[in-house]
Amino acid sequence: MNNLKRKRFSLTPALPSLISILIGLLAGIIVIVIADSSKALLAVRNLLLGPLYGIYNPNQSSLTGIGNMLFFMIPLLMTGLSVGFAFKTGLFNIGASGQFMAGSYVAILLARKLTGIPNSWRWLVALAGAALAGMLLASIAGILKAFRNVNEVITSIMLNYTSMYLVNHLIRATGLYDPLKNRTLPVQTEIPKFGLDKLFPKSFVSGGILIAIVIAIICYVLLYKTTFGFELRAVGLNRHASRYAGINEKRSIIMSMALAGLFAGMAGGMIHLAGVGRAIQVRDVLPPEGFDGIAVALLGLNHPLGIIFASLFMAYLKVGGQTIQTLGFAPEIINMMIGIILYVSAMAVLIRKLLSIRAKKQSETKALGNSDGELYAVHDPPDPGATAAAEKLPPESEDSTNMAISAVQEEIEEDKHG
Amino acid sequence: MVRIADVFQSVLTYAIPLMVVALAGMFSERSGVINISLEGTMIMGAFTGILFIHTMQRTDLMSGHLLLLTGLLISMVTGILYSSLHAIAAINMFADQTISGTALNIFAPAFAVFVARSIIGVQQIPLGNVFRIAKVPVLAEIPILGPLFFENAYLTTYIGIAILIISQIVLSKTRFGLRLKSAGEYPQATDAAGVSVVKMRYAGVLISGALAGLGGLIYVVPISTEFSPDVAGYGFLAIAVMIFGQWKPLYIAAAAFFFGALKTISFSYSSLPVIKDWNIPGIVYKVLPYVITIIVLFLTSKKSAAPAALGEPFDKGKR
Amino acid sequence: MENVIEMLHITKRFPGVIANDDVTLELRKGEIHALLGENGAGKSTLMSVLFGLYEPEEGQILVNGAEVKIKNPNDANKYGIGMVHQHFKLVNNFTVLQNVVLGVETTKRGLLSLEEARNKVIELSERYKFNIDPDALIANISVGMQQRVEIIKMLYRDNEILIFDEPTAVLTPQEIEELMAIMRQLIAEGKSIIFITHKLKEIKMVADRCTILRKGKHVATVDVADTSVEEMSELMVGRKVDLTFDLGKPKLGKTVLKVRNLTIRKEGHGHQTLDDINFDLREGEVLCIGGIEGNGQSELVYAITGLLRDYQGQIILNDKDITNSNIRFRNINGIAHIPEDRHKYGLVLDYTLEQNLIMQSYFEPEFQRRGLIKFAQIADYADRLIEQYDIRSGQGRNTLARSMSGGNQQKAIVAREMERRHNVLIAVQPTRGLDVGAIEYIHQQILKHRAEGFAVLLVSLELSEVLGISDRILVMYNGRLVGDLDPQNTTEQELGLYMSGAKTEKVTVHE
Repeated sequence: MNNLKRKRFSLTPALPSLISILIGLLAGIIVIVIADSSKALLAVRNLLLGPLYGIYNPNQSSLTGIGNMLFFMIPLLMTGLSVGFAFKTGLFNIGASGQFMAGSYVAILLARKLTGIPNSWRWLVALAGAALAGMLLASIAGILKAFRNVNEVITSIMLNYTSMYLVNHLIRATGLYDPLKNRTLPVQTEIPKFGLDKLFPKSFVSGGILIAIVIAIICYVLLYKTTFGFELRAVGLNRHASRYAGINEKRSIIMSMALAGLFAGMAGGMIHLAGVGRAIQVRDVLPPEGFDGIAVALLGLNHPLGIIFASLFMAYLKVGGQTIQTLGFAPEIINMMIGIILYVSAMAVLIRKLLSIRAKKQSETKALGNSDGELYAVHDPPDPGATAAAEKLPPESEDSTNMAISAVQEEIEEDKHG
Repeated sequence: MVRIADVFQSVLTYAIPLMVVALAGMFSERSGVINISLEGTMIMGAFTGILFIHTMQRTDLMSGHLLLLTGLLISMVTGILYSSLHAIAAINMFADQTISGTALNIFAPAFAVFVARSIIGVQQIPLGNVFRIAKVPVLAEIPILGPLFFENAYLTTYIGIAILIISQIVLSKTRFGLRLKSAGEYPQATDAAGVSVVKMRYAGVLISGALAGLGGLIYVVPISTEFSPDVAGYGFLAIAVMIFGQWKPLYIAAAAFFFGALKTISFSYSSLPVIKDWNIPGIVYKVLPYVITIIVLFLTSKKSAAPAALGEPFDKGKR
Repeated sequence: MENVIEMLHITKRFPGVIANDDVTLELRKGEIHALLGENGAGKSTLMSVLFGLYEPEEGQILVNGAEVKIKNPNDANKYGIGMVHQHFKLVNNFTVLQNVVLGVETTKRGLLSLEEARNKVIELSERYKFNIDPDALIANISVGMQQRVEIIKMLYRDNEILIFDEPTAVLTPQEIEELMAIMRQLIAEGKSIIFITHKLKEIKMVADRCTILRKGKHVATVDVADTSVEEMSELMVGRKVDLTFDLGKPKLGKTVLKVRNLTIRKEGHGHQTLDDINFDLREGEVLCIGGIEGNGQSELVYAITGLLRDYQGQIILNDKDITNSNIRFRNINGIAHIPEDRHKYGLVLDYTLEQNLIMQSYFEPEFQRRGLIKFAQIADYADRLIEQYDIRSGQGRNTLARSMSGGNQQKAIVAREMERRHNVLIAVQPTRGLDVGAIEYIHQQILKHRAEGFAVLLVSLELSEVLGISDRILVMYNGRLVGDLDPQNTTEQELGLYMSGAKTEKVTVHE
């Protein structure tokens, strides 16, 4: 536990993330060059400058760009936390999209209907409602996982679509529909800016970013400094051993999923209460924020503080994607890059783990020779390097290395379908 | 008044692509590899196939069913290539299969939109819907079956049914099927029997890619006159069909037909006799497939039919 | 006599270590050749080399006198080498026939055609009196039957050299007898067998010669008939081994655990049923539940510790009825548990040693305040246990459990369980898979615990352990307690009769 403190600021664990980012950026640049080489130089410059494009644009301050970036960061950070938090308990929350959608709807519903509450703090009620909506939706997946061991990935996918169709239906059924624009009606209440609008003038910046960062820090404390987090992570790493140790692993799974849903639901609420005119488009398409969250969480190594940086980076990229739109490049290029980054980091994380497993396997064989020595040191004092990594397994555990690999898998997703 | 045959044909246009893509998922999962990238693979397959058909239709270089068949071939090849990315990640690199699949799902629509905009300026690719067969000669005259299967039909329907039959035979009657299933159940046994788990899993994933790519195109062809790179969550619905079909071809066919019927009802319940009188809101039919799948998972969780080694990487050097 | 396999001067190195150091093994035609060694002596590596899983740096392999290169299991099969793995390589939801033909299927016009194969399987089954239905699902047949399917797999492929890797671990005494008979029949037909084991008695029963490995080196190859069990044991371990302890009379205290009418009826789940189990456990005694694996011992322990809840009956711990209590309650109220499977239950492998040492006590006021963890106190506690129990690891308390050796992992579990507040210690196969040094250590700890007045419930499969360190033996067979024996007045033979169900008596509790 104390050693975590030392490791946290080392760059080594982030290496695969950095490699994935580099490969993603490179791929993006190549696509830009292929698509339109005449404007490529300008486009690449704008893409890389992202929110800082004010440097080359006298009409636009870089502060505005940064403000916009902080706005884009809100859903990325919150869905990133959602996915990352669930990951820590060994759950893959692919349902952040549906939870985001549910949160968005409830936020708008409450913001428009609870006119008895003054504008100045109605946003708080609406945001709480959004959090609750996301939490309830995700809890379904958590409960099924805990009590019936139903794979949460499949449940979440199904809940995504259920949520999407229901919300689109309810928008009309509850009178939130603007038929002209095919989207929800505007809301009159918003999260306070806490002075950020002075700092980043003419931007979308919202006080939500401060709330999101505070939540990320709370997440960190919760996971790494409390007994609750100790339990959640133990369940994520080894559900059986946790149960054996008396941890209520069912409760941990449900709580973890519920909190994950809470974060994703809040993400939806924060965006639509940011006072920048965002509305739910009534289309049969899942909001992309949930899937972005997967990439953010993975890049941030599922660590709340890492996720802050990862979401900052992705928001930077998104602003860059917007700026190159004016040059005629489709902003989808950013999603392509996110896809590539996610793909590479999916492998990179495991490559790193496999490397360490391989190193261990080698020294495991090393332990074959001196098994007595390890216990009694009757021969030589055990070589710390060798025994540190040595893992000698009983004959019953012939599949030891498979176990090691599946333990790696377990960290991300524990069981198979059903 | 709505003809039963019309309703049935409508059901088929939804059910056949669902079935083909669910069978795609089945081949991958029976070999032991989780494949949630079906959606992305469908989009890629549909995209290249339609881009090809669009180009040929515009230039009049090719037409009729030869064009459709060539388009299908291109979709399959695209699917194979795209899913090979998943195969590399999942089989060689021991990547988390769910994450790799998610990455491919994110990439595909972005790629298709980007390329479509770069090539033809807009993201919607127009498509001349000229592949409908009004009446299949002779066969359309068969009582009952004739109007159901051989009027206003699409070649893709027959291809889908052929794929079902072949899948069933391959899985239950061939050497390849036996080996594929063993890799998904207990790869250590496959390996000890001198069969390459890696090859079997590659075969499973690539077949999956071919069928998903093809499924993407046959999803679009009967129902649209343009393709705006998107298959409306059919790839995910196909996963539901696969689970509902318990990873078995014939059950999958039945599940696809059932889900197809629900889709048809959700779009046209207000004009369907009997169903219209039930007064059930359309939203119910829309969410029913997903809700039913969750319920099925809940009920079958104690004895899942999922392949036992699903999602487990296999490293040959280790026992 | 003619050698069918000669593995000459095999050296297999892994970075920094020599797993096989100049090992020579010669298998004669028609003999049963035992390969004996402690856990980690290099038996598996040697067989992996023969099977083409590893390529040796030095040495050569001769099959029937001709040098061959075995690069993969297919090559091994080509040279007629077959293996019954310790963990069967069978697909559970396939039939016997499908498992047998997997990899060597016969087809007709692209479709499977298995009639001939079925006939051959039936014929083999009859010849060896296997009594196997080719169409039965593997999931529905017993472990002993599954082993026969593995043997048929080798015979179907006409393998001449058969390797049996620890084949008796999963069998009942009768099944072991039958297996030995089958092995004798096989060599009578001219096949040759390598028999990997660490059970000396079985070597005595069936093997002709025995090659002994220790720490990667070839120690000796002996004629079994001319060598005593004690001599082989000494060759295997490298010193005289005496695992006997002088227990002395137990200082019995009050009854701390009462199990009454404990019954598990539910079939399925792969669980053995339990039938009306009754016993008392008292302070200061080691009560041993003996029996062959899979006769309900695990279920009994799971029921007492709360890992399994679908049971009837009553469990009373320190005068509290814990029948319906959760695991945490039982832990807090006196149960400590050294689990059977240390990787599944015992440790969170990706937690550090210190985190693993507080798995059941992190919530105690000592280690947390209002939910916030007291890191410094935990570190002190961990360091104390590490020193007291001599747990060795690379980075002390911050070492990941995964990177510790098996013996030290087990010591960590023993330390954790013995040091936390409890008065009943349940130790399930605490020495499984450990080498002799570690076994001695754990036995000493258990006996020290007993001397300090704790109650110990020991579950063991090893006869020597059952007889060596317990005050009382309850034998389990097929989910029932069938014998209540005093180790001082019991022989291995008698114990074996109870364990195999040949002899039973009613076990009752006198209130």
